[in-house]
Amino acid sequence: MAKSKEILFQELSDSVVEMEENKAADLAREVVEEKIDAYEAIDKGLAHGMERAGRLFEEDEYFVPELLIAADAMYAGIEVLRQHIAADSSSAPGRIVIGVVEGDTHDIGKNLVKIILEAKGFEVHDLGRDVPPSVFVAKAKEIKADIIGLSTLMTTTMAGMARVIEMLHEAGLRERIKVMIGGAPISQGFARKIGADGYSANAMAAGDLALKLLAQRRILGSLSAS
Amino acid sequence: MTVQDVNLTPRQRLLKALRCQHVDRPPVACMGGMMNAAITEIAGDCSATLPDAHFHGAKMADLALAVARATGFENLAVPFCMTVEAEALGSVIDPGTLACEPKIVSEAYASAADVPPWDTEKLFTSARLPIVFEAVERLAGAGTDLPVIVSITGPLSTSASLVEPRSFFKELRKNKKEAHRVQRQVTDFLSQYARLAVRKGADVVAVGDPSATGEILGPALFEEFAVPYLRDIVRAVHEEGAPTIVHICGDTERCRDLWPLIESDAVSVDAMINLARLKRSFPQIAAMGNISTFLLEFGPPEKVVRRARKLMDDGVDIIAPACGLSTSTRLAVIRAMTDAVRNEHL
Repeated sequence: MAKSKEILFQELSDSVVEMEENKAADLAREVVEEKIDAYEAIDKGLAHGMERAGRLFEEDEYFVPELLIAADAMYAGIEVLRQHIAADSSSAPGRIVIGVVEGDTHDIGKNLVKIILEAKGFEVHDLGRDVPPSVFVAKAKEIKADIIGLSTLMTTTMAGMARVIEMLHEAGLRERIKVMIGGAPISQGFARKIGADGYSANAMAAGDLALKLLAQRRILGSLSAS
Repeated sequence: MTVQDVNLTPRQRLLKALRCQHVDRPPVACMGGMMNAAITEIAGDCSATLPDAHFHGAKMADLALAVARATGFENLAVPFCMTVEAEALGSVIDPGTLACEPKIVSEAYASAADVPPWDTEKLFTSARLPIVFEAVERLAGAGTDLPVIVSITGPLSTSASLVEPRSFFKELRKNKKEAHRVQRQVTDFLSQYARLAVRKGADVVAVGDPSATGEILGPALFEEFAVPYLRDIVRAVHEEGAPTIVHICGDTERCRDLWPLIESDAVSVDAMINLARLKRSFPQIAAMGNISTFLLEFGPPEKVVRRARKLMDDGVDIIAPACGLSTSTRLAVIRAMTDAVRNEHL
């Protein structure tokens, strides 16, 4: 007898938490064979598992290597399911451009944020590391981003964050695009100082912050449209 | 205070402080490498400017002298980046600018399994290693009484600059055998590099291993992949008769019980770590740090002075910046920090 949808979702979720890449892909194929909704399987299975792995990270059970391997399992499952997502069920909550600001080549934190944002359903455009301010702005404009996420590990590069915000103002885009920042030397105080919309201390908090900023942006958008 | 205390040279003071021996006051130092103090205000006015000084031994030495003169840090330190090691092993670097350190553009290998064996001895004539040796030799022979610190990049940070870091961090769990093999090869290379630098005249070897933090690895992987390799380098340096400083970034509280296993004379930690507490737990280890680089960049000088005095009151052995200084840090603020420590008895 075929497994129930709920059991399959639970197993998908577990395969991510247990960092079982092959198992996640096998389970995803089962979802396809059983003609279960692929989007739901990502949301309630794979992304749910990534969310649990993220909580374990917050609780110091998992660290960076574990989170990266769990993400590989999530992506292996998503890879199988991607082409089966029904057109009407893709309700991506928003588009976000992320990257590490120019001068810094540390991108572990940014990669974790990307994973969590994808688990939350965001369409993430990752510019990588050592990204000049103008590239953030150009990309955000090109893809009509809702949010720009800036990361740095180095005090050296913090001025680049302020520059992105200035350039958004200059391009007349500041009202439309929310800016969130994070990274080891960054604080809420610094976010306020440079006029960023939000700061998050870690990858899990970045996911929640992005959802919050998106909601704010949509409310403002609907107000200005009416 | 004895007569000898009053007559301590900066070299003697730092070496005594590193061994937790009595000194008149703590030295104020800056370990170089990823934590160098070649801010634009100094390097921009120096004939040995950046990025040139990353690539010429004489200029590297001249800039180190200029930095010590201007800042008041009581030591000389080279190099001014953390890419020397990975470049020598085959990674591609961007030379950087006046305001921006050289950085890794692309790692030499996609995974640990791709790293071939190498002939360590041949590496010391390649890339910028001879430049660092030349700078150390020049500084040791410069006739100052300032100790020379050579700053090397730790094993995990070097491995994660040699192998694509996301792959390498995963391989710490998924392919332990290959990850250990790379760490072993890298550590043998770094140990020999450190030995040669001491023979060229370095008084102290500082190891900065920002990727080897408990925040990234967790205590289990820190113990397995960071501690034994750092210890090997420390032991190699000790065999050459020189003391060590090991700097680990981030919140190291989770791994603090593992610190003594590294056997380093001094540990240098980030701003969030309570050095007074660390000192109480491990009185045999010299505590170095930890004035926030954020404070040094944005804070008023008075606050920096207060912080330096507090660290001295707490019995911190060596007063130093907590992490890498921003190149836009103002000289006046650094000067406030070093003056506060140096003029304590005035």
